Amino acid sequence: MEKLHFSFDTKEPIQKPVHVGVVASGDLEVIFRPTTDTKSDINIVTGSDGFKEVWQNVLDRFFARYPIQANIEINDFGSTPGVVNLRLTQAMEALKDEK
Amino acid sequence: MTKRSWTTNHDAKNSKLENVASMMDGKFVKTENAKELLEDLIAPGDKVVLEGDNQKQASFLSKVLASVDPGKVHDLHMIMSSVSRPEHLDIFETGIASKLDFSFAGPQSTRISQMIADGTMNVGDIHTYLELYARLYVDLIPNVVLVAADKVDRDGNLYTGANTEETPVIVESAAFKDGIVIVQANEIVDEVPRVDIPGDWVDVVVQADQPYQLEPLFTRDPQNITELQILMGMMAIRGIYEKHNVQSVNHGVGFNTAAIELLLPTYGEQLGLKGKIVPNWEVNPTPTLIPAIESGWVKTIHSFGGEVGMENYIAHRPDIFFVGKDGTMRSNRAFGQMAGQYALDMFVGSTLQIDKYGNSSTVTNGRLSGLGGAPNMGSNPTGRRHSTPAWQSLRPDNDPLGKGQKLVVQMVETFGSNKKPVFVDHLDAEEVRKEAKLANVPIMIYSEDTTHIVTEEGIAYLYKTDSMAERQIAIEAVAGVTPVGLRSNPKQLADLRARGIVALPEDIGVHRSEAKRSLLAAQTMDDIVDWSDGLYNPPAKFRSWS
Amino acid sequence: MKNSFVELHARERAEALLDDDVRELVGPLDNMISPHLEPQGIVPESDDGVVLMRGTINGKSALVISIEGKFQGGGIGEVSGAKIVAALEKALEDNQAGKTIYPVLVLDTGGVRLQEANYGLLSISEIQNAVIALKKFVPVIGLVPGRVGSFGGMSITASILSYLIATKKARIALNGPEVIEQEAGVREFDSSDKDLIWNTLGTKQRLATGLVDEVVEDTVDNIKKSVSDAIDAKKDAHRTENIDFYLSLLDKLDLSKKLDIDGYRKLYSEVKSEKHVIDDAVGSNTPGTKSRGRVWFEKLTGIKNAKSSVSTVLHAEKDGKEYVAIVPDADNKFPRVRDGEVGLEEGFAVASIVNKVVADDADKDIKRPIIMVVDVPSQAYGYQEELIGIHVALGSSAAAYAKARQAGHPVIAFIPGDAVSGGFLAHGLQSNRLIALDDTSITIQAMSKASAARITQRTIAELEEATKHVPAMAYDIDNYEKLGALYKLVKGIGSYDATDENVAKINSIIDEAIQTTVGKPADLHFRYETPIAIESGRKATNAVRKAVFEQWNA
Repeated sequence: MEKLHFSFDTKEPIQKPVHVGVVASGDLEVIFRPTTDTKSDINIVTGSDGFKEVWQNVLDRFFARYPIQANIEINDFGSTPGVVNLRLTQAMEALKDEK
Repeated sequence: MTKRSWTTNHDAKNSKLENVASMMDGKFVKTENAKELLEDLIAPGDKVVLEGDNQKQASFLSKVLASVDPGKVHDLHMIMSSVSRPEHLDIFETGIASKLDFSFAGPQSTRISQMIADGTMNVGDIHTYLELYARLYVDLIPNVVLVAADKVDRDGNLYTGANTEETPVIVESAAFKDGIVIVQANEIVDEVPRVDIPGDWVDVVVQADQPYQLEPLFTRDPQNITELQILMGMMAIRGIYEKHNVQSVNHGVGFNTAAIELLLPTYGEQLGLKGKIVPNWEVNPTPTLIPAIESGWVKTIHSFGGEVGMENYIAHRPDIFFVGKDGTMRSNRAFGQMAGQYALDMFVGSTLQIDKYGNSSTVTNGRLSGLGGAPNMGSNPTGRRHSTPAWQSLRPDNDPLGKGQKLVVQMVETFGSNKKPVFVDHLDAEEVRKEAKLANVPIMIYSEDTTHIVTEEGIAYLYKTDSMAERQIAIEAVAGVTPVGLRSNPKQLADLRARGIVALPEDIGVHRSEAKRSLLAAQTMDDIVDWSDGLYNPPAKFRSWS
Repeated sequence: MKNSFVELHARERAEALLDDDVRELVGPLDNMISPHLEPQGIVPESDDGVVLMRGTINGKSALVISIEGKFQGGGIGEVSGAKIVAALEKALEDNQAGKTIYPVLVLDTGGVRLQEANYGLLSISEIQNAVIALKKFVPVIGLVPGRVGSFGGMSITASILSYLIATKKARIALNGPEVIEQEAGVREFDSSDKDLIWNTLGTKQRLATGLVDEVVEDTVDNIKKSVSDAIDAKKDAHRTENIDFYLSLLDKLDLSKKLDIDGYRKLYSEVKSEKHVIDDAVGSNTPGTKSRGRVWFEKLTGIKNAKSSVSTVLHAEKDGKEYVAIVPDADNKFPRVRDGEVGLEEGFAVASIVNKVVADDADKDIKRPIIMVVDVPSQAYGYQEELIGIHVALGSSAAAYAKARQAGHPVIAFIPGDAVSGGFLAHGLQSNRLIALDDTSITIQAMSKASAARITQRTIAELEEATKHVPAMAYDIDNYEKLGALYKLVKGIGSYDATDENVAKINSIIDEAIQTTVGKPADLHFRYETPIAIESGRKATNAVRKAVFEQWNA
């Protein structure tokens, strides 16, 4: 298990918190919480050690596409970058959901 | 001057068969005499085809061959489409064989790699299936062929049934060129259900000690299909099957394509595509096709081989499958490969590595898995002349003599389950070529033939690119955070999307949140059995327990 | 197209059972994660694997508690357990106040989360207590969809629920086949034999032998309808009340040969229930198999060489208190209980005894205190035990103790020996006060080290390392004290030191403990309210309870 922290400069507020995913084998959960800060904090607990650079790359790309003002918590049980990105983008879809 | 004899091969064959006459009862030899028989009929240096298909293995004859005296039988030149069993390689260690021409070595890929590096075997070449069959009639004409049949009658007529696979193409190459045809049979019967190979082509039949090895290689348990595979399946249906109006297809068998098969009756139905796409298939009879068949999506299926557990289902669906008068399926890999190369709109496959140019290979470090049939299906046959809407939809606009192109689709996740990137700057296959001293890099599908790449990020419509540089940028745009993908930038992506060269899920109306397992028409093997009305009988290792 | 319920995750399952308008309590955004996983290098989950959701089922107010089988095998830890208990208690309060609300438990759980072992056991006993209390008002419906099924302590909970609905994708058993194989050998149960496993533990077999009530096809609509129908009809299988039936069945069991599935189905269908009364233990000339539990039972009751019609279950009244002990019997006809484990006969016999005490005192103002003498090394690990349904035996005993307590009987557990796993749930954890001797020979845990290591895929060395950092993982009574559940840890008296002086001392501690229950609610709250519990032992539990209570009526 490894704990990772990242932060990004952001500019697009989100209106509500969202939660997506389950901490199952090869899967993860993602929580977005709105913040008024223009710096988003990302805290990750992952079961696979040694992938900090890959996480950095996934998040770089995500925030380049969606610069949301959100503090993000991730609990990850060995997901591939593809699954991580799927959950992050599903959370974006959930933000747009009128519910 | 003595008159030249034009029947030397014929005479040699007859003389060999006469030498073993004492062991023969008609065409039949006792099981316990099989070793002696092979020692008498196979000469040092002979070209020998040992039937190792994808699903079916002449496992009795391969065991017997591995047991012959290397003092009598040695330095054989083996020709095998699939190197699957340990004894297929043991014979090179004992000196019984020295040279190998083959197509596929999936189950033995690590060992074969090592043996080539060690010089234990001399590899002629690695082929696609069709190439290897073709050479059986040109420069690799066999002296002896060792094949497997389900049933044989007293005249030597063979029934090979659903698992006919390669037996006809192998037997024909020997039977009409003075090769010796030796058959292992599961069962000797008074009357075969139908004649798949005429007895006239067969020289020797041995009853096997146990039925030939047969593996359910193309069964995919839907329980293991992931949401990412479902997402990619949805994108493929929307962005390729529907867009190009695809009518005929081959699925390389994996979980990605199993997902598509199981999405047709649900997601495809929602899109209103039923009756409009993919009625005609060249594919092994995979159980995951059953829901699509039952709900009326699939009209015809021709198959390379059979699939364990599907026999009864197929027998009850002769409108769909190729079934003999006796009521059982007939497969034929040679014809299937031919159909797959020339008659299909589209091939959809998966791979282990794709390089920055779009070349792909399943050969990775230390594993020489060979080529099999995908390169035939996954290539654009330049000899094709007939047109279909899908083929025509890839025709370039600016060339008056231009023609269509086969759709060749690679579906991959950007990272494998081992978290290694699938998109790489250089294929491992390049290194393997050096180690194994191969003439060519073992590439499965070349960039020039690859028309689409689907990843969880999006679809790259490579056929629309007009330069290698643009092709590379398009690949980078869907390669995620692999080293290749990291070169992509948002501006390039926006430009590619605007020009329709790259589509993200949102561009083709695919919602990631809908990518759920509940969207699969069957989620368990049990569900498939239900869809089949109880006709499909999964092998034990695939049973859903309850 | 089939809309599979099994395929859904816990939250989606809760949403699928409820009508459209739902409200989740203490959800992923509330930051109630387990404090015990990260210190062991295990990734936690924001909801700790339990979803609490309020809403309506066909218009009727309902609480769905859904366990996520994909997270840590659906194991119950401190936070997830406290969420379930707190929600059930609020539902009880509402029902008591005339606001009917129907609880539904979706069980997809391996039982105790072994990484939080003793918290899991405590929580599960508290869940069982709340269920028993609720059943007086509403049916508590259980749903076991699969893939995990319901195992361990949560199979005992399943047996206590009013009505159990399952799909064929589920299995229900006390001990998983791997654990039985580990504890009793591959000849007892081959955990690689899938046919045998499913034919024994699968819900089709469970339905045929009364261990589940309904097996439905796996679609959302079917399952919701079954749950809704069960609520409407107030269905109750009274599964833990068939004690005479099972004791009669055990009388008929031929132990000379291995019981098989067909043989059991036949036996099950032929048995006629006969009334069983287990008389008080009496003195004899031959000593029984020596154990800490037997020594203390005999001293506390003054019966020498106590014996009983069920050789492993002793009970007697002394000075107005009913003492109950489960003891070893080296010659017992059931081989799997010879070391004092709690098996089929033990569970049902204890239930029979306790139920009789409650019935006898039904009209009395002062209810007789019940004193459990606890020395149970585990539950019985055996094939026939699982085939018949040992979880129901243990559930019957746990339910009997809980009902006794709720009826006003002070229920005190005195622990001079081991208190392990299902054995402890059946005989010990339903007490409102726990008293233990401070002796290093005492083991108090959810599973043996060998089995726990196998199931959590760790080495025994890794497991022992974890026990140093997480008291709930430890096997000794001193670490157990740190959880705050004990009423008293008695220093200076060894497990076998039942001298007259020490017996008198223990007697006075028991009496004192009984006094503390007078005029107090007959629940298990004492465990959260000791100074140790508040300060550290049940800190997370109390925080969870507060959060659930605050959000209950939002």
